[in-house]
Amino acid sequence: MRPFQYLKATNVAGALRAGRDASDDPSATAYLAGGTTLLDLMKLDVIGPTRLIDLRALASEHGTIRVDGDALRLGAFASMAAAADHPDVRERAPVIAQSLSLAASAQLRNMATLGGNVLQRTRCAYFRDPSWAACNKRRPGSGCAAVGGANRQHAVLGAGADCIAAYPGDFAQALIALDATVRLVGPEGARSIAFSDLHRDPKGAPHLETTLKPGEIVTEFVVPAARWARRSLYLKIRDRQSYEFAVTSAAVALDIEDGVVGEARIALGGVATRPWRATTAEETLRGAVLTEARAAEAGRAAFAGAVAQSHNAFKIELGRRTIVRALLAAAAMEVDHG
Amino acid sequence: MSFQPTSFQPATFRIDGETIDATPRPGQCLRTFLREQGRFGVKKGCDSGDCGACTVHLDGRPVHACLLPAHRAEGREVTTIEGLSCCGRLHPVQQRFLDAQAFQCGFCTPGMVMTAAALDPAQRARPDRLLKGNLCRCTGYRAIREAVQGEIPAAGSRDVQAPGGRGVVDGTARFTMDVAVERLSHIKVLQSPHASARIRRIDVAAAMAVPGVLAVLTHRDAPAACFSTARHENPLDDVDDTRVLDPVIRFAGQRVAAVVAETEAAAERARDLIAVDYEILPAVFDPEAAMAPGAPVIHDKPAAVSRIADPARNVAAEVHGGVGDVAAGFAEADAIHEGVYESQRVSHAQLETHGAVGWIRNGRLVIRTSSQTPFLTRDALARLYDLPPERVRVVCGRVGGGFGGKQEMLVEDLVALAVLRTGRPAKLELTRAEQFTMTTTRHPMKVRVKVGAKADGALTAIEMRIVADTGAYGNHAPGVLFHAAGEAVALYRCPNKKIDGWAVYTNQVPSGAFRGYGLSQTGFAVESAMDELARRLGMDPFAFRRRNVVVPGDPMVSLDAGPHDVEFGSYGLDQCLDRVERALAEDHRIGGAPAGRRPPVARAAGERPGPAPSGAAPVGEASAGATPPAVGGPGEGVSGERPAVGGAGEGAAGDWLVGRGMAVGMIDTIPPRGHVAHSRIALDGEHYLLTVGTAEFGAGTSTVHVQIAAQALGVSPDRIRLQQSDTDLGAHDTGAFGSTGTVVAGQATLRAAQALADALRRAAAERLGAAVEECVLGAGGVTDGRRTVRLSTLAGVSAEGRADGTPRSVAFNVQGFVVAVHRRYGTLKILRSVHAADAGFVVNPRQCRGQIEGGVAQAIGAALWEEVRLDGEGRVETPAFRGYRLPAMGDLPVTEVHFARTHDRLGPLGAKSMSESPFNPVAAALASAIRDATGLRMTATPFLADRIHAAMRARAAEPDFTQPDFRTEETDRERHPAGS
Repeated sequence: MRPFQYLKATNVAGALRAGRDASDDPSATAYLAGGTTLLDLMKLDVIGPTRLIDLRALASEHGTIRVDGDALRLGAFASMAAAADHPDVRERAPVIAQSLSLAASAQLRNMATLGGNVLQRTRCAYFRDPSWAACNKRRPGSGCAAVGGANRQHAVLGAGADCIAAYPGDFAQALIALDATVRLVGPEGARSIAFSDLHRDPKGAPHLETTLKPGEIVTEFVVPAARWARRSLYLKIRDRQSYEFAVTSAAVALDIEDGVVGEARIALGGVATRPWRATTAEETLRGAVLTEARAAEAGRAAFAGAVAQSHNAFKIELGRRTIVRALLAAAAMEVDHG
Repeated sequence: MSFQPTSFQPATFRIDGETIDATPRPGQCLRTFLREQGRFGVKKGCDSGDCGACTVHLDGRPVHACLLPAHRAEGREVTTIEGLSCCGRLHPVQQRFLDAQAFQCGFCTPGMVMTAAALDPAQRARPDRLLKGNLCRCTGYRAIREAVQGEIPAAGSRDVQAPGGRGVVDGTARFTMDVAVERLSHIKVLQSPHASARIRRIDVAAAMAVPGVLAVLTHRDAPAACFSTARHENPLDDVDDTRVLDPVIRFAGQRVAAVVAETEAAAERARDLIAVDYEILPAVFDPEAAMAPGAPVIHDKPAAVSRIADPARNVAAEVHGGVGDVAAGFAEADAIHEGVYESQRVSHAQLETHGAVGWIRNGRLVIRTSSQTPFLTRDALARLYDLPPERVRVVCGRVGGGFGGKQEMLVEDLVALAVLRTGRPAKLELTRAEQFTMTTTRHPMKVRVKVGAKADGALTAIEMRIVADTGAYGNHAPGVLFHAAGEAVALYRCPNKKIDGWAVYTNQVPSGAFRGYGLSQTGFAVESAMDELARRLGMDPFAFRRRNVVVPGDPMVSLDAGPHDVEFGSYGLDQCLDRVERALAEDHRIGGAPAGRRPPVARAAGERPGPAPSGAAPVGEASAGATPPAVGGPGEGVSGERPAVGGAGEGAAGDWLVGRGMAVGMIDTIPPRGHVAHSRIALDGEHYLLTVGTAEFGAGTSTVHVQIAAQALGVSPDRIRLQQSDTDLGAHDTGAFGSTGTVVAGQATLRAAQALADALRRAAAERLGAAVEECVLGAGGVTDGRRTVRLSTLAGVSAEGRADGTPRSVAFNVQGFVVAVHRRYGTLKILRSVHAADAGFVVNPRQCRGQIEGGVAQAIGAALWEEVRLDGEGRVETPAFRGYRLPAMGDLPVTEVHFARTHDRLGPLGAKSMSESPFNPVAAALASAIRDATGLRMTATPFLADRIHAAMRARAAEPDFTQPDFRTEETDRERHPAGS
């Protein structure tokens, strides 16, 4: 690994100041949270910051998980393990706990933070190996080796000619399904945005993955209380039983009253270039009785615009079925709304 | 200041309870930092958070030390494996790993123990999910699970613990890289991005200018001689087509140049500054295309010198042979099956990558390496660098897994060059990515098999055509091809056989020796074909085997009927067939009749599997809390325990098709053409010092050697001290490959120990004035019944033993599976895995069972998930464990192991070989179980769920699963006569 300078921030202000001091070349400085993606990519030479600002100390301020009013507030510096095992999270938003505990390994969940998790980079093999010349995400304008390459793992939703890399995460699907907001702090102050606005569409500029401004730090996720959050689950389909990224996944949340769907939330992983909310699919369910046929209709709606690559056409049908299965299982959940 | 710059700053660390002031290098991760503090128990398996071998506790929680900047541990409590035990007492988890002997090579053990030690009792009861961040390649996880759960079966009298086991569990065992060497320099290799090219020019000036660089080595520095990286007793068995550094590039990933520098960072920086001007040449990636006229010639070398079979046609090696007249045989057959079976490229994936450290001491070149063949590597280095063999010493530490991959000289040559050139100690430790792109794999093979039989089941003809892809170099190509053409066919009594095989060069990562040595590929083909043929005849697969397999008295014939040195030293195949058949028949998950006798269609369509399969089924992760959704999709990731649980409104249990399958493997207990071992044993005070050449890489042969010597000398095993794998100790040993650690090296040890026992009895008899026959050797000394001569008074007596690997016997393996396949999703679940082995007399049942469990596990990985995928340009797309799917604990079933009761008249103490062979029947047994369940014959590994699903769809000519009406059970069954 390349040598880098290592700075420890002791609080948010210090971190921002350190970030600003380095602002002449933004790519030369990176914030270090859990480090499980950052260090990995540095060892692979995919990214090469010469300066890391360690944000671990921010955990004391932004690392707690609590219920505030009715909302779940998840500190961005809480570990994946802490959030996955938290009783309030498991009760109020099982989809969040499941999305976290189905991801990574025990060691990684101890290390990785929630904020870092949503910012993880794609597992596209061409992105992760700098000996490939063509990767628009790594080298803007260089092309995309995955189009026409080995693309079984790649996206069928939101992909364009310049990038078909799939967003690899699980937790983000739970957040986008539950209408979470993200709290950020940056050189220009603090702000909140909808989680659905955090990630960008790759079209035109696949190297820009988020709407974070230079120097901004994710500090918190706020998940509003909702009846459907309690009737929620995460279904992850992968190539083997353990330790694998999703081939397809679905985060679903339902509010059902007397057998009729009041509200439905569906987000999809493994199939899209960014965290993906299937809003048209949700609309097919509102006010309907959730039958298998109705669920299948939602599945079709979710993938209406899907475009298959040479090796991943199976994901479209698999993704539809994932939705069906997840919806039917969520409908069958016993939920205590107390 | 609200932040503190800490680079280059000394800092205070708490490591294993000690306070240490140190200055991590800029960019250093905790793993290398801890190793520099002497914590060699912190291993490197992947350096990317995939394998868990570097797991340490940070403030009590397990983390990957490889993904943590060292400075981050400042002021926190770091615990490594070496700090887990306290005051000479093992941590309870370490003790349980020792009690359960939950390791083979032991390289993953420190990380595994650290993760397990942080679990609470409830978590320990269900470790599968929590240990998925720790990979083990050797054991198949059964013993590890038992150790973690604390449910350890009682050890039998022969279940002697492995020597050095305590060091494995407490982290003090020293593997190849676990040495601190003064003035060590570091080697980094520049690899070719092109699959076929010629180096026009190579400019190293910028690289040389990097501070700390000692040398940049290119083909101009390398010996002109060609050699083979493959190691065999007779170097003429392999083709000489490889140079240490070659101006001709034949695969993407090949070495182009090497930098030797003071630090790894300087070496890496300099490597990236080497400017190479390549002339790109045409490449060929398909073996059939490579043999066709007009294909680019990959090795333009004279056949007579290189021993390449046909350089112009890219044929590295070929075999042709047979007996009888296959055309006549097929003409008289009542049923014929013909099929093409393909086996993919898989990686050994030893947790310890290839690596070596070299230095010069007293004018001699010393290489410490991770090798299965230290003596042959010593000889090869001496030849290559024109040194007298006595000026070269090759020594192994504990070897972190081999599986055939370390029966090659893949790094030692370059380390030797660096040491000889710079005079400095030098180290080359491959990264996991380099391991995937620069070492070797199993030979991918395409095998066409045609088999015919009479209505009564008697085979009339077997025809096999093998095309093996040896990649860019021919290391092991002749041997693997020869073996592939051997026992898989010799297993069957059949008057007419014809075999043709070619091992073909392509511009891809080289293939090499891999567990099974070609037999897993042809075994998949032949055993699948036999199952098909049996079905065609309406015969049960066990009955069909009994009708056709060789029994003592039959000749064992494949390429020719000529005389050879393979004999039935014992025969337990009949017992193995009986045992697996009984186990599959008694399986409660399927009703009455044995597999195969009943048309699969009847069960598949009509019956539902009984109780929800569990227990033997792999345990996955439940996703939802109260109501786990039904199993879905390829590979299936949820609610793994209960394949029959249905989601609301779905087909539930009726969607699972259950089937059984079996396959047989036969293997010669020793490779042909000579395999030599020497052992020496000397009385050393109250102990015996046993010196063997053979290396230990997890197969457990060290234990067996100790047991053999102890038995012959009438002492308990703890009285035997073992030293091994050092060319300075003991005489020549061909090496630990071809499953010879017990049957050849163990034979040498037995002979040495018997000779020593005789010598001691003679010496004592003389002293006592008694007849030698009256004297008995025991733990206390030699006694004639009245008086005893104490061992301590006989010091200095020693003896040697030699074995030369002939005559050879045969060992057998039978694997059976019960599987469930989801009719709509293609999801495969292994409900039961049963293995019966004829290993002769089993010296150490617990270890031998571990070998079998591990072999079956590795083979399940190769049959279901693993594949080193190459893109259209010959580049490896799967250079990391995150994408190369090594089975984790939760992915594997428990394999029940049964032993035939036999005693081999050729092997030491009646033992036969049993380390590579359990791998061989697995893929075919799985394929036949899938066939039994679904009616589909999978003809290419790996059987990924989407492939099974695609095959099911294609066969059913199902218009479209995407139709709006999700079919009901009934309509589905009508349209889907499963099993048809």
